[in-house]
Amino acid sequence: MTEAAEHEEYDVVIAGAGVNGALIAKHLTHAGFRVLVLEAGPGSAWSLDGYSRHLDHFYAAASKGPESPWPPAVAAPQPDTADIRSGAGYFVQNGPDKYGSSYTRAQGGSTLHWLGVCLRMLPEDFELRSRFGVGHDWPLRYADLEPYYGRAEHEIGVAADVADQAHHGIEFPDGYDYPMRRIPLSFSDQVLADTIDGMRVTLEGESIALQVRSYPAGRNSVPRGAYRPVGAVDADVDRHDMITHLGERCAGNTSCTPICPIEAKYNAGKTLAQADRGKLRVLAQAVVSKVSVDPVSGMVDGIEYQRYADPASPRHTVHTARGRVYVLAAHAVENAKILLASGLGGGDSLIGKGLIDHPALYAWGLSPVPVGAYRGPLSTAGIEDLRGGAFRARHAAFRFDIGNDGWRATTGGPDSSVVDAVTNQGLYGTKLRAHLAATLPRHVRFSLAVEQLRSEANAVTIDPRHLDAMGNPRPVISYRIDDYTMGGMAAAAEAARQVFRQAGIADCTDPEAGGWFPSVRRDGEVFHYHGMGHFGGTHVMGHRAGESVVDTHQRSWEHRNLYVVGSGSFPTMGTSNPTLTMAALALRTAEHMTEALAARQPIRQGEPSGF
Amino acid sequence: MENRLDQFVRLSALLTGFAPLHLLGTGMAETYLRATDAALPDGVLDELLDAGSLPSAGSAPPTGSAVPGAPAQPGGSALAGGADPDAAAGQAIFGDAKLGPVARALILLWYRGAWTALPQEWRSAYGASPRDVDHVVSAEAYQAGLQWDAAGAHPAGARQQGYGAWASPPAALETESAPGTTGVRLPRQAGAPSVTEGARS
Repeated sequence: MTEAAEHEEYDVVIAGAGVNGALIAKHLTHAGFRVLVLEAGPGSAWSLDGYSRHLDHFYAAASKGPESPWPPAVAAPQPDTADIRSGAGYFVQNGPDKYGSSYTRAQGGSTLHWLGVCLRMLPEDFELRSRFGVGHDWPLRYADLEPYYGRAEHEIGVAADVADQAHHGIEFPDGYDYPMRRIPLSFSDQVLADTIDGMRVTLEGESIALQVRSYPAGRNSVPRGAYRPVGAVDADVDRHDMITHLGERCAGNTSCTPICPIEAKYNAGKTLAQADRGKLRVLAQAVVSKVSVDPVSGMVDGIEYQRYADPASPRHTVHTARGRVYVLAAHAVENAKILLASGLGGGDSLIGKGLIDHPALYAWGLSPVPVGAYRGPLSTAGIEDLRGGAFRARHAAFRFDIGNDGWRATTGGPDSSVVDAVTNQGLYGTKLRAHLAATLPRHVRFSLAVEQLRSEANAVTIDPRHLDAMGNPRPVISYRIDDYTMGGMAAAAEAARQVFRQAGIADCTDPEAGGWFPSVRRDGEVFHYHGMGHFGGTHVMGHRAGESVVDTHQRSWEHRNLYVVGSGSFPTMGTSNPTLTMAALALRTAEHMTEALAARQPIRQGEPSGF
Repeated sequence: MENRLDQFVRLSALLTGFAPLHLLGTGMAETYLRATDAALPDGVLDELLDAGSLPSAGSAPPTGSAVPGAPAQPGGSALAGGADPDAAAGQAIFGDAKLGPVARALILLWYRGAWTALPQEWRSAYGASPRDVDHVVSAEAYQAGLQWDAAGAHPAGARQQGYGAWASPPAALETESAPGTTGVRLPRQAGAPSVTEGARS
């Protein structure tokens, strides 16, 4: 395979074409720097034809989980939630608890299958240790990130109204609003709000009023001012120009996860398409296997990658990419894996240590009246009121996501309900149809995402006994859900029961009847949880080298021309879905890199890095 | 003489509660006929089609509407279908150890666009086809699943309802006129109590 990339000079080499890598590539190319992006997975989602094939793959898939449209290449395996029970698959689950999340190794990364929730973290989430005596403080405060949140909301294209989002001390600059108006609340949200709004629950003696609230979403709606929503993209500029307005509004496909058919939901391919293409080279099917470090200077002097032609085969050739600066933007787990495989972790190093997620509980029920389930974006509202408060000194905070997708995630509805009616209830004909018409539109689902704090015992490690088809290490995951999080689970489950009772919703939550999920036990109560895909904590940021892996610009303490970016840098995650916060951090990092690169004359390849 | 596809659609209407015109409108009838044939040992589908054409059923097309207060099925068997000719045909089919499971698989095929493998006991007794495995028939079949129509919704990822449609009340329970006439749907007035619990056996 010819490998022009190997012989070209780049200012920046980025591993990973997800949201972090794409944002940094976009901004550095526009600042005039030459950027190479290496993507481990296929690049097929970056063309409209390729994207359509992924959509067909989803339609025909027997199981329609988050991974269903995005089958991995042999060379770039990825975790699959279907493997959690058996223990097979890409992750080596070392226990004691199962890590329940997955991610996508393809150009576009996990934004290809994400839900699109773009919540800012709460100011108190950055100061957990100072305010509540638990977890860690960030080396940044909300005020430090606020301008970048605003920029990230415009990069991603977030639909929300500031009037809904100023809660828990979240502040916006005067005159600021999101680039698009909020996504309309679903009929289900409106029905539930009628009974939930104003209802109170008590946590650790603190009475908190609940409200069904629209959340900010990376989905296109009605633009404000001159903002033009970004719909479907094609890497080929000529083809892209032929896509007219596709995906410039959400059309309610009820399929944000695992694939928005019209790309009305943000994916990182949109950002990559906005880069200065003359300065950008993207190599898909290039698996970064190792970061090479000059032993004398400690600077990175190259990134080794494995290029493969056939996604069905591990056959590959090995190459090295060189630049002045290097960025690992490969995912919280993959970043740690690459650093460890390069011999850069171990000992007291925090690389890989502190893995977190939002272990989440499902609660599902049957509303007394139709709520119009199975229509609209998978969710359009949440209950945010239990994300913050004094109770956090005692147990984890949590967030309600209110589904518009019926029991799809919990039991496999509507299919499971049809099978039950036909097979177990013996219904057929008009009675079958009437039964389904009377019940399916009443399906209600909450997802209760619970905060988790970093613990160094929860870690990504590697083990030479566990390799993938390319000879690269598979992530070995050690993971335990502690009492702080289980306390939050108990409070969340109780809050959901209260909400169901008050709203007259028949509580159908029965893990035995639903899909299989891993479980943990506390004081005789069993919590069945699923991962939210919110990996974090594996290359934590901090003020000092010994206590963190990267500084506040996500720059490696040990290797000063290496940036390790993404939610792996998070000291805590609060209860926000991490994408918006990592996008804000990536923009801050890109700004820093632009200044640092501009301060030095470009250097020729082969010379010691002057960065 | 009714051809086999017509026979298949008529039986499917009886089993699913959707009018023949609706079923034909999915564009999947011929595909499902072939898929069902492929998933069954030779001759089994013809037996089912014949059972669906019992004189009592064959004398009148499926009505597409359940008679209120239809008597419970005798013998405590798990039968809860329509009444009169439909009920007679239904009884003949679902009371039969060989045809009942096949009819259920056919209902699920129409509702889900996916074939559901027959129980192992059934295959031991009546024979197994290599195509009798759980599978989505095709991308089009998934999108044509009747379950979405029954729910007043749309298949996830297809046939979307448009920006903001989710903010409106769900389409009221849609009814159909008797098959063989127009098949026109009669949406009820939004907000009116429009759904009734289906009978359970």
